Amino acid sequence: MIATSMKSTWCPGCYNFQILAAFKRFIEGEIANGKKREDFAIVTGIGCHAKIFDYVNLNGLNSLHGRVLPTCLGLKIGNPNLTVFGFSGDGDAYAEGMEHLIHTARYNSNLTYVVHNNQVFALTVGQPTPTTEIGFKDKTTPEGVKIHPLNPIRLMLAAGATFVARVYADVKQIEYVLKEAMKHNGFSFVEVIQPCLIFHNDAGYKEKIYSLEEKGHDKNNFDAAWKKAGEFDYNVVEKIPTGIFYQTKKDVFEDQFEQLKELKKKGIGWKDINR
Amino acid sequence: MRWSILFGGKAGEGPNVLAHIVAEALVEEGYYVFYSRDYESLIRGGHNFNLLTFSDEKIYSNDSKADILVCLDDATEEIHKNQLKKDSFILKGKKGNMYFAGRIFKLLCLDFKILEKRLKKLEKRFEENMKDAKDGYDEEQKNLCRIIYKKNNLYFTNGSLSFSDGAIKSGLDIYYAYPMTPATPVLTALAQKQIENNFLVLELENEIAVINAAIGSAITGAKSMVGTSGGGFDLMTEALSLTGIAEVPLVIYLAQRPGPGTGVATYTGQGDLNIARHAGHGEFQRVVLAPGNPKECEELASHAFYFSQKFKIPVIVISDKHLAESLYTLTEKSKLIKSAKSTKLERYNSYEKDETGAATENPEIIKRNVERRIKKAAEIEKEAEKFEMYKTYGKKNSNNVIISWGSTNGAILDSTKDLNVKFIQILYIEPFSKSIKKELDGKNIILIENNATGLLANLIAEKTGIFIEDKNKILRYDGRPFLADELKKEIEKRLK
Repeated sequence: MIATSMKSTWCPGCYNFQILAAFKRFIEGEIANGKKREDFAIVTGIGCHAKIFDYVNLNGLNSLHGRVLPTCLGLKIGNPNLTVFGFSGDGDAYAEGMEHLIHTARYNSNLTYVVHNNQVFALTVGQPTPTTEIGFKDKTTPEGVKIHPLNPIRLMLAAGATFVARVYADVKQIEYVLKEAMKHNGFSFVEVIQPCLIFHNDAGYKEKIYSLEEKGHDKNNFDAAWKKAGEFDYNVVEKIPTGIFYQTKKDVFEDQFEQLKELKKKGIGWKDINR
Repeated sequence: MRWSILFGGKAGEGPNVLAHIVAEALVEEGYYVFYSRDYESLIRGGHNFNLLTFSDEKIYSNDSKADILVCLDDATEEIHKNQLKKDSFILKGKKGNMYFAGRIFKLLCLDFKILEKRLKKLEKRFEENMKDAKDGYDEEQKNLCRIIYKKNNLYFTNGSLSFSDGAIKSGLDIYYAYPMTPATPVLTALAQKQIENNFLVLELENEIAVINAAIGSAITGAKSMVGTSGGGFDLMTEALSLTGIAEVPLVIYLAQRPGPGTGVATYTGQGDLNIARHAGHGEFQRVVLAPGNPKECEELASHAFYFSQKFKIPVIVISDKHLAESLYTLTEKSKLIKSAKSTKLERYNSYEKDETGAATENPEIIKRNVERRIKKAAEIEKEAEKFEMYKTYGKKNSNNVIISWGSTNGAILDSTKDLNVKFIQILYIEPFSKSIKKELDGKNIILIENNATGLLANLIAEKTGIFIEDKNKILRYDGRPFLADELKKEIEKRLK
């Protein structure tokens, strides 16, 4: 019921199918447990990731490039009872929409943000993004990328995000982290490391990945999270920790405004206020 | 009678507070007052002044000369010496602003009790202010003009306050903004009133976040509004285009200041007519409304919500610094129109979408979508004709027709009282009334605008085929508003 009849236009075998399958299973599970389809809203940016909007029959907006987070925030403010998921690519999140990423982490609105990071602008045929490794070549960078990539996990920790996670593009890992993110009261940042079969294929990621949880990482310890976040710099692949780096409690955006608290208490949005 | 007082001094010495207190007292006594603010982009020092004009008849603008010059610092007298008349009265001396309030109250025979009441309302430094005011009142020996109490039902307001009230009365749920002069007074006014009226005001990281968040809220069904000036509006442009394709109701308050670039941040101009009309890629419908005084600000705020909700389109209300920050004395109550909330959360898309809300590249669906959106133009036009799309003043059958829009309204009304002219003030920029062509055909048309190239003239040419001669364009583009006495001379040169 949550799937649409749209035929997928992702490349055969694309890792986006893993993310889609996980999200659908997660939503269907939530609905089986009593949530309604109308309780959810999704927002997507522009790029390969955004096609997920077409394959999931939930309300929301397939928005502009880079503007997923302010749109998510606007939905939460419009109706704080909505469960909101934003989806972005790495171009969307780390290039075009960087200012929103930092500020939304700071606001700590209760929503979940999933970044499909394939380290490349895939839908525009393979240009480098802020998380592409040095030396990567495409038609627009014949001399290769010269600039050091950004470490989004460390950025999110520094910006004050209250839930910071990274998973590999694998159904089980994603479904697990989505459940944890939804349980978290605050801004949940989830990065999905996702090879692009055409423009940025798997550089042996799968062999380098390990689970933070299995290694006994304390997700409530900021210093430990910071250290673990430094293990993968998006440039040289040695080891890639996955799982929840950090989780903490902080005041939630929607709870700071009497007007929104009142809407939450009544289970309504502004739409239902008649003046 | 028409009297002018110029209050000058450094930022921080309080010429604005002083002007406001005198103005409110005059309004309380039944006089019509208009004052404008001239301030530089700095917080302390420099030179700021307020030009206050009052009369026993309706007035909406200032003149170039001052009957009384109040100098809060030494520089003021020198800076404004050209604005003095032969018999102008100069108040000076190293004293606090309320000392001069006391002297002016004596000069104008205003009741000291009113001043005391105002100072109480001000709260800050009450004792010191009272002492200064008493000293000034006692020291002043002259009476310049005997104020006689008149019974008028007057209210005193500026464009920002009235626009804010209009938005609240139209059911505003959420206002998003990033501070930018001269749109900030609306942000301030709404922020102060949000709890009492149960709506929400939020400042986000930049104008791009502001408009995208407003779109997010608008698609949940909330009546959403954003406010900014030219530079911020430019940043919002991509999302403005998004409201066009996704058919999202949104009200945008655009308070102009001179551009391009940072331009002159704290001064006035009307250079943004074209961005209001054309900003945003692709073809989509919008409504652009241009109030000319605070009453129209309040009324057109309600029209903006009405059209945005009814047609699920962006509506831009275009104001400027002069209208946003000058204080007007008004008598008539505003007439607002009600609007129902029309939107609910569904599947919205920035891409062309099919009936399931998914992105599509199907040519038939694209064509159908485009035609559905474009068809709104005729419906909007038909709906707009139910309202006053422009106003006419003056001699209805005159061969001389002045045409203008926005805040030039005040100086035009004041300067044409005894001239043989008809004045047409355009309220609806988009859609543009078809009747205007008939009003202009064969007339001696005089254009008055606060910009350098006559943007309204281009709009008129586009919509009516009528070209206004360059020699008949009265344009001011130094960041300052028109002054009634100077404008009158310019108009007289062009009458036939």
